[in-house]
Amino acid sequence: MSDKNKELYDHLKGLIEKIDESDNYYNAFTDFWRIACAAQNSTINTKYKYDDSSKEFIEKYKKQLSDIRKELVNNIEYYVEKTMKSMEKNKMKVHYAKTNEEAHTIFLEELGDIETVYKSKSVEAKDIGILELLKENNITVKETDLGDVLIQLFDYKLPTYQVGPGIHFEIEKIVSKIKEVYGAELPPKAESIVQFFRDTYRKELLNDVKVSLTSANSISAEDGCIVLLENEGNISLLTRATEKHIVLVGISKIVPSVFDALLMTKMVERTNQADLAYISFIYGPSATSDIRAHSVQGMYGAKEVVIILVDDWRTNAIKEDLFYKSFLQCIGCKTCSFYCTASKAFGNVYGSKYGIGAIGILRDYIHNGIEAAVRDGLYLCTGCEKCTNWCPAEVNLAEIMRSLKKIATEKGLAPPPLEKYRQKIKQEKNPFS
Amino acid sequence: MKLLYMGCLSRANFPEMCENAKRIVNFLDSEFEVLNKVPCCGSLLHNTSTSQDQSNYMSEVYEWFKTNNISEMVTICAGCYNYLTRYYPEQFSEFNIKIQHLIQFISEPQNLEKMNLEYTGKKLTITYHDACHLRNARKPIIEEPRHILSSIKGIKYKEMDNNREESFCCGSGGGVYSSFKENSDYNSRLILDQAKRAKLLLTACPFCYTALQRVNEQYKRSRTTVMKFEDFIVKLMEGSELEV
Repeated sequence: MSDKNKELYDHLKGLIEKIDESDNYYNAFTDFWRIACAAQNSTINTKYKYDDSSKEFIEKYKKQLSDIRKELVNNIEYYVEKTMKSMEKNKMKVHYAKTNEEAHTIFLEELGDIETVYKSKSVEAKDIGILELLKENNITVKETDLGDVLIQLFDYKLPTYQVGPGIHFEIEKIVSKIKEVYGAELPPKAESIVQFFRDTYRKELLNDVKVSLTSANSISAEDGCIVLLENEGNISLLTRATEKHIVLVGISKIVPSVFDALLMTKMVERTNQADLAYISFIYGPSATSDIRAHSVQGMYGAKEVVIILVDDWRTNAIKEDLFYKSFLQCIGCKTCSFYCTASKAFGNVYGSKYGIGAIGILRDYIHNGIEAAVRDGLYLCTGCEKCTNWCPAEVNLAEIMRSLKKIATEKGLAPPPLEKYRQKIKQEKNPFS
Repeated sequence: MKLLYMGCLSRANFPEMCENAKRIVNFLDSEFEVLNKVPCCGSLLHNTSTSQDQSNYMSEVYEWFKTNNISEMVTICAGCYNYLTRYYPEQFSEFNIKIQHLIQFISEPQNLEKMNLEYTGKKLTITYHDACHLRNARKPIIEEPRHILSSIKGIKYKEMDNNREESFCCGSGGGVYSSFKENSDYNSRLILDQAKRAKLLLTACPFCYTALQRVNEQYKRSRTTVMKFEDFIVKLMEGSELEV
């Protein structure tokens, strides 16, 4: 057996040590994340502005949501076709990309000679590998979600929380970074930082955007509508004040109807205990018929809406009945991370470039193989099954993680102490004898 | 035959726990036996084997059960209970060994009545930690320990904030304890923080016990004693002082 498992084990041990040191990115993230988890773990029962608590909401709609998601997984080809037809009727331009590589080609063609893309936060874009693609092609990506703006500002490369990616940066450091990059002196207050970006960046978003890139929280097959959830207004601007709005999205975001799409989106909001300002339902480019009933596309909103539906690993996982098939039911709410035992202990040591937590690790496995998953901390998972228990869409993430561990064992990548137990069980029928 | 199934960790590290479990089970049903060279249930293999190895191992264990005519088992480990009742019936459709965790067994009405547990010492507040393996089992064991504790005269029971389905994991399952104790360093402390209003923190899983006990000893602020469920019950049966 190679020493690869030992190398990976030592690598993780080294990162874990950093959590207890002070003033590094692992320590800063984990400290913040633990507080966020503690708050989430105790507030799931509070009601906020609703009559029911988030937990009651999940319990009330979990079955309905899971049924919707399973309906897609069981009939994915039918729903992809239906979605494409509906979108074409809505005057959207629709592409189907069999692989991520195909999606890249289509995306570059759609960009034409554009050199700057304004982007909303999108886990899907990372999954599809679009950030690397744009970098390779020297196309500037301008993040618009403030969290991602900060990530760009700090050139932060480590795994982070997908919903609030810059949430762990200390306010003093943000202020000094702004001074360093923009030369603006701000008091160390959240309000001042927000006002600074409102004063400077908002104008640019209103006036200069030629091509914008978003994903979608959900897509309705029945009427070809994409649904987007946000709080900052950046998506509202990007989808309206643009010439061309490109939507890059995995086909697993499709649901049968617009009501299902709303439920899926509301579930993301409620499970995150967030009272967000906007939900956009986008049915196509802006248009007017006010000049003698002659329909003209491109009034004040987007002139073109281009949808790139990406398959890549998705249909294959269904056809081959792969162990991570139920991951297609994921709605991207990240509830699994908030309740995860390993995530609380290890923060962003436990995760990948696709984000923290088990789903970040699973995505890395899908795209980069088992060694990547072990490096991301696969073996930090205790199998407590909190992810499965709390998932509002019945993704059996705990069982998926167990399967990943089995694959890792086959490749000789299990941590050395576990490997010893395995041998002992086999030989002596007792790991601790 | 009826088997008291001790589990690998308890046999190796906690012989007194096994002895106490035997005392309780035989007090309630003298037909339960303890055998030597009992194979481990293989739960760790779910995190550290190939699918094929795991399946082969389970077949060997099932053969052993058949050879020894095991018809009924009481386990003292939460992990054994979870895996024996979940994965064995999945792999062997004819698997029909009755399996109970010790807590389930004690909580049966006739057994509780027979035990008639009472505490006569000074004021004692107790809390209970729900082990993941008991909470997640096909037939979850959640209310049973509370039922037992509420039947004991003379103690005060106090829930931790995160209890039942919302309880925290101690951070030591899935083989993680052997490789990354840092997980329980953090997570066991979360549990101990919530348990500090109680003098006694009971757990029914030897893995949780190992982690909670270790972290508790390091945790200077904790004035709570971590105790295994069966040890507590035997102390009540004996009427002996609780060292808390």
